[in-house]
Amino acid sequence: MSVLTVDQVAVGYANAVIIDGLSVEIPAGKITTIIGPNGCGKSTLLKAVARILKTQSGTVFLDGRAIQQLSTKEVAKKMAILPQSAEAPPGLTIFELVSYGRFPHQRGFGTLKQEDLKHIHWAIEVTGLSELKDRPVEALSGGQRQRVWIAMALAQDTDILVLDEPTTYLDLAHQLDILLLLKKLNEEEGKTIVMVLHDLNHASRFSHYMIAMKDGEVVTEGKPEKVMTHTNLQAVFDINAFLAECPFSQHPICLSYQLNKETDCLSSFSGYSNAR
Amino acid sequence: MSASVKESVEMKKVYKGSRPIMATFIMIGGMIGLLFAIGLSISFGAADIELATVWSSVFHFQPELTSHQIIQEIRLPRVLGAALVGACFAVAGSIMQGMTRNPLADSGLLGLNAGAAFMLAICFAFFPGLPYMYIILFSFLGAAVGAGLVYGVGSVAKGGLTPMRLVLAGAAVSALLAALSEGIAIHFRIGQDLAFWYAGGVSGTKWEHLQIMTPWIVVAIAGAIVLSKSITLLSLGDEVAIGLGQRTGVIKFFGALIVLVLAGAAVSVVGAVGFVGLIVPHLTRFLVGNDYRWIVPCSAILGSLLVVLADFAARMVNPPYETPIGALIALLGVPFFLYLARKGGKEL
Amino acid sequence: MSENKYVSVYQQKRHRKNVFIIITIVVLILLMLMISMNTGFIRLTPGELFRTLFGMGTEKQQLILFEFRLPRIVISILVGMALAVSGAILQGVSRNALADPGILGINAGAGLAVMLFISFFPSTTATPVFFLPFLAFVGAGVTAVLIYVLSYKRDEGISPIRLLLTGVAIAAGISAAMIVLTLRLSPENYQFVAVWMAGSIWGSNWKFVIALLPWILILLPIAFAKSRVLNTLNLGEMPATGLGLAIERERLILLAVAVGLAGASVSVSGGIGFIGLIAPHLARQLVGAKHQYLIPTAALVGSLLLITADTIGRWIIEPSEVPAGIVVAVIGAPYFLYLLAKSKA
Repeated sequence: MSVLTVDQVAVGYANAVIIDGLSVEIPAGKITTIIGPNGCGKSTLLKAVARILKTQSGTVFLDGRAIQQLSTKEVAKKMAILPQSAEAPPGLTIFELVSYGRFPHQRGFGTLKQEDLKHIHWAIEVTGLSELKDRPVEALSGGQRQRVWIAMALAQDTDILVLDEPTTYLDLAHQLDILLLLKKLNEEEGKTIVMVLHDLNHASRFSHYMIAMKDGEVVTEGKPEKVMTHTNLQAVFDINAFLAECPFSQHPICLSYQLNKETDCLSSFSGYSNAR
Repeated sequence: MSASVKESVEMKKVYKGSRPIMATFIMIGGMIGLLFAIGLSISFGAADIELATVWSSVFHFQPELTSHQIIQEIRLPRVLGAALVGACFAVAGSIMQGMTRNPLADSGLLGLNAGAAFMLAICFAFFPGLPYMYIILFSFLGAAVGAGLVYGVGSVAKGGLTPMRLVLAGAAVSALLAALSEGIAIHFRIGQDLAFWYAGGVSGTKWEHLQIMTPWIVVAIAGAIVLSKSITLLSLGDEVAIGLGQRTGVIKFFGALIVLVLAGAAVSVVGAVGFVGLIVPHLTRFLVGNDYRWIVPCSAILGSLLVVLADFAARMVNPPYETPIGALIALLGVPFFLYLARKGGKEL
Repeated sequence: MSENKYVSVYQQKRHRKNVFIIITIVVLILLMLMISMNTGFIRLTPGELFRTLFGMGTEKQQLILFEFRLPRIVISILVGMALAVSGAILQGVSRNALADPGILGINAGAGLAVMLFISFFPSTTATPVFFLPFLAFVGAGVTAVLIYVLSYKRDEGISPIRLLLTGVAIAAGISAAMIVLTLRLSPENYQFVAVWMAGSIWGSNWKFVIALLPWILILLPIAFAKSRVLNTLNLGEMPATGLGLAIERERLILLAVAVGLAGASVSVSGGIGFIGLIAPHLARQLVGAKHQYLIPTAALVGSLLLITADTIGRWIIEPSEVPAGIVVAVIGAPYFLYLLAKSKA
């Protein structure tokens, strides 16, 4: 079981440091969700963990070894990443795209061996794409496409799965569909799942562990019961939340909410555009 | 994020990003600079003429003075031609970039340059000695054919004229027409004549050409300004524009038509000095933001200024010979463009 | 991959279809080869052709076939392959459908080198036939390195879009320099450069084949072996990193391969840019986006296109010739446009 630890990491873009000295430990075999307002650095943190952004200082440890020191292929055998907006090149079938997930396990020309085919087959099966596997990716709906990318990450056969907003652009049912799939993967396959979610209620309902961020720092972390409190949400999102208990998971959910200063509605709206 | 939120956020970004004060400053300052550059360009040349003489030759023309004749018959039309051509390329380029959302787009992409060059090759090969006026008309016709082909192929396809398709069709049509004109040039051994024609730049411009060109260009630039708000919307993407109630097909058609008139006229006079259409809109956007209501007029002025100065430099670098104006503009433009590519990188 | 419960009938069919397509193109190339060997001022009947091929023709027939026609045919096959694969690599690496060797400034760089040489050393002696390809290769290489260095950023490395923009800018600068040079050339020299730039297989000599062959033999297999890497790169930066691809290193290797292939072919054939753009697109229509199929198919399509174009170019206005580059564009562009008009969204 692979363990992921972030130690005193500073990371950012060209000249702007977004996160400065952040440490968290991702519990193995659990579902961990990072929440926070736009621009709080949660995607940046995820990118640092996924070694897409180089850290300026500090270290990300994978199984006790610094991720920068490991070869990128070695990392890819332990951790799969699902970016927020991935676009498949035209002309690929689902089977082909999923088979690319075997990349870190292959050598040379990339002929698919029995072992590879087994994993691809399983990934397609578990994501419920068996019927569609010979269709071109561009012919799929948004929800199906997201499943294909998840299937590719699954074919990679890693302990850890990192997902950046896997439910964006999906409707209610399809959002749940993806999250239930992730839950199943966690329970049945023991995968460690780390993701960024915008929907607090989904985050609370499906996570074992939550990390709430603001301005590049961890405000609070722990079980959903600990993180999803009125005070925390006030501190993190500047909202006045009305909390209730989820009838399915017994975790707290936010039934409805007000902005702290309803009059200040426009300024937080422009904060929205800054995040983009 | 819901679509409507995204739209309004993007619109806000555009308007917040635009800088009206800067734009006004560029328009006023640019105009003054342009007038100054025109005066400078008229007064210096193979024979230097004092500014006072320039003034009097324009406003108190005395046909018996040689200096007055040089100015009236050679320099004035040439400089005004340069100013017009610069404005044409720059506006055409900014419309193309807005419509296709592609930072590499310029009027050449519509097949205009290749079309005009093709017709020019035909004129040189089959009708040697054709009067200048007809050559220009034929070039314009060629530009129209090139644009028609690109636009036609792009629109016939299912799903209509997507920016991607426009770019690919433009590349293919340009390659085809360029190959045909290369073939003609090699077979009839007129390649170098063509090169000389292009190297001449705006030097051969006469009053008659200006008389024909100007009304079209003025109408087209006015049209571009009218269209500029719609181009701003289009630059946010087809979906956003449609969502905001725009008839994108109509706008794209008129946009292409304006580009054809502007770039077609300019290309037929000076050949493919396409780089103006590529860099000036970038420069303008860098200065005034993303609102095409400001970009269009400002790039017209900056484009004029650039070509007038380049033409002036072309005469001054190696007198009495003229350096090809296209080469000079590339010389200025390439480093700048490289800088943009390095700096912008992602947004470009 | 015959009996396997994980491989669906469809995938087997697709694989067989792709293999069939590849074989068909090979057959077409062989067919064109026969036609091409028979095209030229002196006709050979099929019987004569075979007899000559097996060393039983007259001396004159031997000379025509082995010393004039065959090297040229072999070169067009090799050059077609090299340019097409170079284009396929560039399109894969940059994820931009418009990328071709021309956009890396390779044609322009080679052209400038040739033009500089001709304008400063106007053919004093017999044209240094063997020196020019070398010069063109150097020009192409220097330009490619320049573009690479200029688009390199310390923190971020090479971004494909920056590479393309830099390439476009440098190519524009070089073209401008060439306009200036053009005006200094004498008409004969100009004609030579113009034909060269338009792309024609003029190096009909076994020595060129031998000069070109090592490049092709080394670089094509590398490109083919990197199919898997190209597949992954083609997904975009994030997914590729996630899959454990050392992006920077692989990009550099692939770009170097693309430059090597294009530079070597430009040096013997001039600027036949369009093949690098169109052959990968055609191949993608035929066999899909998987590079294991795409690379060989693109190579073969490129060969077929160029050998056909060169043959037509030699035949159409005999005894004069049309540069192959022009023929490629004239037949390739309309077909490309047709595909474009037919395609969905």
